[in-house]
Amino acid sequence: MIEVKNVTKKYGNFIAVDNVSFTVNDGEVVGFLGPNGAGKSTTMNMITGFIEPTEGTIEVNGYDILKQPLKAKKKIGYMPEGVPLYNELTVKEFVTFMAELKRVPRKERKEKVAKVLYEVGIEDVANKLIRNLSRGYKQRVSMAGALIGDPEVIILDEPTVGLDPKQITEIRQLIKKLGKKHTVILSSHILSEISQICEKVIIINKGKIIAVDTPANLEKKTESKNVILLTVEDNKNNMEKLNKDIPEILENKFIKNNDDGTKQYMISSNIEFDLRKKLFEILPKKDITIFELKNAEKSLEDAFITLIDTNTREREKEKEEENKKTKETGKEDKNKTEKTIKNEEKKKDKQKKKETTDKEKVGKKIKEETKKQEGGKK
Amino acid sequence: MWAIIKKELKTYFFSPIGYVFIGLFLAMFSIIFYITTISQGAITYQYVFFYSVMYIVVFIIPLLTMRMFSEERKNGTEQLLITSPRSMVAITLGKFIAALLVIIITELFTLVYLAIMYYFKAPAIMTVLTTMFGFLLLSMTYISLGMFISSLTENQIISGISTIAVFVVTWLAPNISTNLIAISLIDKFYPFATGVFPITETISLLSITVMFVLLTMIVMKRRKLVK
Repeated sequence: MIEVKNVTKKYGNFIAVDNVSFTVNDGEVVGFLGPNGAGKSTTMNMITGFIEPTEGTIEVNGYDILKQPLKAKKKIGYMPEGVPLYNELTVKEFVTFMAELKRVPRKERKEKVAKVLYEVGIEDVANKLIRNLSRGYKQRVSMAGALIGDPEVIILDEPTVGLDPKQITEIRQLIKKLGKKHTVILSSHILSEISQICEKVIIINKGKIIAVDTPANLEKKTESKNVILLTVEDNKNNMEKLNKDIPEILENKFIKNNDDGTKQYMISSNIEFDLRKKLFEILPKKDITIFELKNAEKSLEDAFITLIDTNTREREKEKEEENKKTKETGKEDKNKTEKTIKNEEKKKDKQKKKETTDKEKVGKKIKEETKKQEGGKK
Repeated sequence: MWAIIKKELKTYFFSPIGYVFIGLFLAMFSIIFYITTISQGAITYQYVFFYSVMYIVVFIIPLLTMRMFSEERKNGTEQLLITSPRSMVAITLGKFIAALLVIIITELFTLVYLAIMYYFKAPAIMTVLTTMFGFLLLSMTYISLGMFISSLTENQIISGISTIAVFVVTWLAPNISTNLIAISLIDKFYPFATGVFPITETISLLSITVMFVLLTMIVMKRRKLVK
């Protein structure tokens, strides 16, 4: 079990992690999700004792990472970001070294190293120099280093970055398997991955936790509308008048003409109404034949982007309010000339523009990546 | 600690560093041996060490120490060490002892020259022993200093060059002003070459070593807060 209580990490004035608290229970597989620079790695580094939090406490299986570091670290297997390895050692030597570091008894060492090498599927390169391995293999060697010594808690920082689709599915299966015996925390900015492997998702943005929930619940939470995709044959164009017959419809939008003469519409309503039954009743009366009717499902990806967007918008508002306050005090202060205030405003505007474009980029990237992966799986 | 010593020795001898270090040392040691003894017909083994300390050790010990922490930091492998259930004391001492072992191996090689000398005439054995011991102590001090500098930067070149710079400064400082003799490390080595066991210098070198090993530990621990 991992307990993180009110943890803050500051670098000078920059707050990387801001008053974060959460618990991970035994046997849980938890995913850390967030855009780049959200504080995922920093949080993981603090849990593993690589860096110390500025404030707050972290307990791993009851041991405080600052007060009893050696006992706490013994429980943890950590695969850091960027896969750091000793290039001049062979795979077997490296894993044996990690076993020695983790105080695996001499008698069991050989056996355990062999077992881990088998588990992550790197037996065939066991005697190769790590320097000569491909990225995917290096990733697995790093994972072997984390798994050796049967730690109760396994922390993986972006375990699937840089792997090909086949390797990704293999690693995911391995993580799922690990989740049966161990507590696993992993970070990722790939959403489909988290929703597949994890039972719980922690979403972080700019150092703050903005949601902790199961993937399914997160999807539900962020839905504000019920959206139905409808394919119909409608020769008399009665669809457009549908709003009169069903007043609950918020939006009735024509999407496209299909080749077979049918048309596709998107109908949305408030979350509390399920229009499917009504549509089935009323449409035939209006001489509309239903070919297909389905709920447009929201993915975790949408949930993530909505959450992050609303969160950053809220923060911007807070900032603006703060700025207003400082401006007011600035007016009272005669020493502060109007010029400097204007300059400040300009700077802020520039920053905002930058931030928004960055966010768009992040969103696009995430979508592209998930698409690529899904394509790979097929 | 043994795990770290073993790994460090592997990195020294699975990469060229260990061989380059020992090779360079022995090559230059041979030249000095020829100049000071063979060509002079002298049976004074201590002079070989005397000059080698001056001209070789200062420039090649940084080869051993420059990568110690810099490389780990640059490659991120320090994360593996720091997050392992090992104390910073064990990690630092492990690295220190491994480098020291390389020096001891090198010093064992120099026994060959002693054997050559014995072939002609036995040198004063006490002087030989104290000189070799002094050489080891001075190397320890240099290693601890180099290790400390290595823990300050992630760039090996900067680490290596600043280590050489610091060594040269401690070497030449007494020439600027005799008041600076206290910071000269080599001056602490000279008494060992007289064949008498100098207690003051031994304690002095040992305490400087301990100081820099401790400083390295402090730097590494502090990095947890700053990083």
